Parts: sequence; structure tokens; C-alpha cells
Amino acid sequence: MSIMSYNGGAIVAMKGKNCVAIAADKRFGIQAQTLALDFQKIFEMGPHLFIGLPGLATDTQTVHQRLKFRLNLYELKENRHINPKTFAAMVSNLLYERRFGPYFIEPIIAGLDPKTFEPYVCNMDLIGCPNEPEDFVVGGTCTEQLYGMCETLWEPDLEPDDLFETISQALISAVDRDAISGWGAVVHIIEKDKITTKSLKTRMD
Amino acid sequence: MAFVDRAYSGLSNNIHGGFEVPDWLSAEHSTGTSIMAVEYNGGVVIGADSRSTTGSYISNRFTDKLTQITEHIYCCRSGSSADTQAIANIVRYHLDFHSIELGEPPLVEAAANIFRELCYNYRDSLMAGIIVAGWDKRRGGQVYCVPLGGMCVRQPLAIGGSGSTYVYGYVDAHFKKDMSKKECLEFVTNTLALAMSRDGSSGGVVRLADLTEKGIERFTVLGDQLPRFYEG
Repeated sequence: MSIMSYNGGAIVAMKGKNCVAIAADKRFGIQAQTLALDFQKIFEMGPHLFIGLPGLATDTQTVHQRLKFRLNLYELKENRHINPKTFAAMVSNLLYERRFGPYFIEPIIAGLDPKTFEPYVCNMDLIGCPNEPEDFVVGGTCTEQLYGMCETLWEPDLEPDDLFETISQALISAVDRDAISGWGAVVHIIEKDKITTKSLKTRMD
Repeated sequence: MAFVDRAYSGLSNNIHGGFEVPDWLSAEHSTGTSIMAVEYNGGVVIGADSRSTTGSYISNRFTDKLTQITEHIYCCRSGSSADTQAIANIVRYHLDFHSIELGEPPLVEAAANIFRELCYNYRDSLMAGIIVAGWDKRRGGQVYCVPLGGMCVRQPLAIGGSGSTYVYGYVDAHFKKDMSKKECLEFVTNTLALAMSRDGSSGGVVRLADLTEKGIERFTVLGDQLPRFYEG
């Protein structure tokens, strides 16, 4: 039994044209048993900044709480909203502090630069090694399936509506091949002037 | 990306050419499952979900777990896919031979006992939970449960597989003897839908079969047609 697949889950984030999207399933389960269908895995950390925390559910909640604490202090001291790249560095630092007893989380960050509104996505391993690709990032227990779907469906410069369709199809098809992910899904599309949040109709098995 | 310890990573202890491989490349293929069989006046209704998993990867989402043994005898398979397929093939052979010797279709009790012989004598090597159901001339519709250790017991209603644990209460509350065929089909569909909703190892479609004197009639209830219950 792997600790990273104790609760299950799937998160994906993609870059589009002047927008980013991040999506996650909503299952909370313990091994094969599903216990809740409304478990939040994506958290808003700024007006154009979201973080997804797939992995062990208890660490999802704890890392979110501790990160929010650090972010609040940052915003009080700096008197401005944090940059996505800086935020990624903050997350990386938080995780590496626990290098020899880590949080079982492989975070995904998606956002727009507060000044230039340039799209940014990032994912890391459980000890904070960042990866900042130009296209998409995936996390959770069905990363192999998600990589396959994203590689096939993603193309550069998708408009927000098309990005929504693409990320939704990628997530749904991937979690339908994973026994411990799914049971509902949520998508956030982040644009310069608005954030759209939609719940997807998915298989509930 | 770093891997602190293989226990954290979702990779198995299987090293293939120097690289660690994902769990589902080596995990045993199993039908963590929901299966069910119900007797009624004139026959039996059997049902199963359609999910096969290797670790947490869904290797087949349209599996047929209702396997024919003879024209009037079927079995519902749960546990290791390989083990249950092999056992069913062996039982089918024995029963075919037996029915030639007998000169008439074999009894469901005979099929159940052959399953039991295999599952009991090889109990340490097998992982097979089987429900045998069918119709014969002597006793009509019958359901026999042959779980992991190789017990064999006749019951009016049997549920099995990992998903069955979530629906014991539901079946105890809703089962009645001598339901009609239509009531049985609805009962099995509802039960399996509830199990599939809670159990990660069960899902896909509901496969149903009605076994009577006339033979088999199969049904499939696709995902969007499944009954939905409280989801919160």
C-alpha cells in the first residue's frame, strides 16, 4: 500500500491564451471505500492564484492551512499580492523543511502574474522540487492516464472556453480509468478579469 | 523528480531494467467487485458490475463477470481474474463430461460442488469468491455461495465481492421471497448501483442475466441509466 494512493485523487492544470485552468476530482475515500463527494483539493491563494494539493488528504488540509498562514504574513509585510513564481518558491521551501519526514503532497500551482497576467503553471514532488513547463501539469494517482490525455488533447493558445473543454475531457477520461479518483469534478478557469468555476457531471463510480 | 523512499512513491518493489515501475505493471489483476444472485419462483437473476483493476488502474471497464458453465448454469466471479477464469474453465469441462455420462443437463448442486472441490482443496493458492446460480429440472432456480475458503452453501440470496460489504443492510431490508422477475431485476440493479457508488473497486455497467427453464436472457444497464441515490 502506497501512502500516496491511500486517499486517491486527480488534479490537472493547463496554460491557455492569457488564461490558466485547474481542475480536480472531488472524491474523499479511504483505500477502496468512498466516504464523501465534496472534498476540496484546490484552494484559492490570491485573486489569480490557485494551488491544488493531491496526495494524502490530511496533508492536503494541513499544508493548505500552514501555507495560508505563511501567505498571510507575506501579504501583511509586503502589502501586495504574491507573484505565482514567488509563491511556488514558498511552497517549495515549506516542503523541503520536511525533507526527511515529508508531507505526502505533490502540489500543482496555477495562476496569472498580477502585473503582466502571463499564465503560469508549476508542479513539484513531495520534497519541493519545482517543475515549470510551458503546457500542462498533472498530479494524483492517475498521472499516467492524465499525461496521456493531456499530451493528446492540449495545444497552445487555447481560448478560455476551449481550454475548459480540453481540461474537462482530459480529467474525466483519465479518472474513469482510475479506481480511486473521480466521483465528481470541479474546474476553475482563471482569466485577467474573471474566474469561472464549474462543476462537471461525471460518472459516480 | 525525487523519490525519498519507494514506500512513498506509488511504485512497486519491481525494478525493471534498473527503473522502478508503476504499481499497476506488476500488481495482480483482480475483479474487486460487486456480484449478486437472487432466487425467485421459476429461476434466478444474477448480476455483476464490470470493473477489473490492476492495483488502482482500471484495466477493463466493461468486463463480463457472469460466466457460462452450462446452458442453464452460470457463475459470478470475484477475486483474482486469473484464478476464477481458470476454475470456471475446469468446472465447465468436468460438468460437460458429467452431463454426457448422465445423459441430461447437470444439476446446479453438482456444479456448485465441483467449484467447492477446487476452491477448498487449493484454498491456499487461490483467491476466488464465486456465486453459482442456475436452473435445473429437480429444484428449479438455485443460488449457491462458494466464498474464499471453499465453503458451499445454498441461499435464496447471495452477495459477494468487495462492494458487497456496503449493501448487506440494503439487501436485508429489501429482499422478499418469491418476487417477480421484474422485481428481482430492479432489486439487483439497485443493490449493485449502491455498491458501485461506494466501492472504488466496482463500477462501470451493471450486467444482469435471468436464468430460467428457457435458458438465459442477458441485460446491460449502462452508466447513465443506473439509479442514483443520495450522493453527499
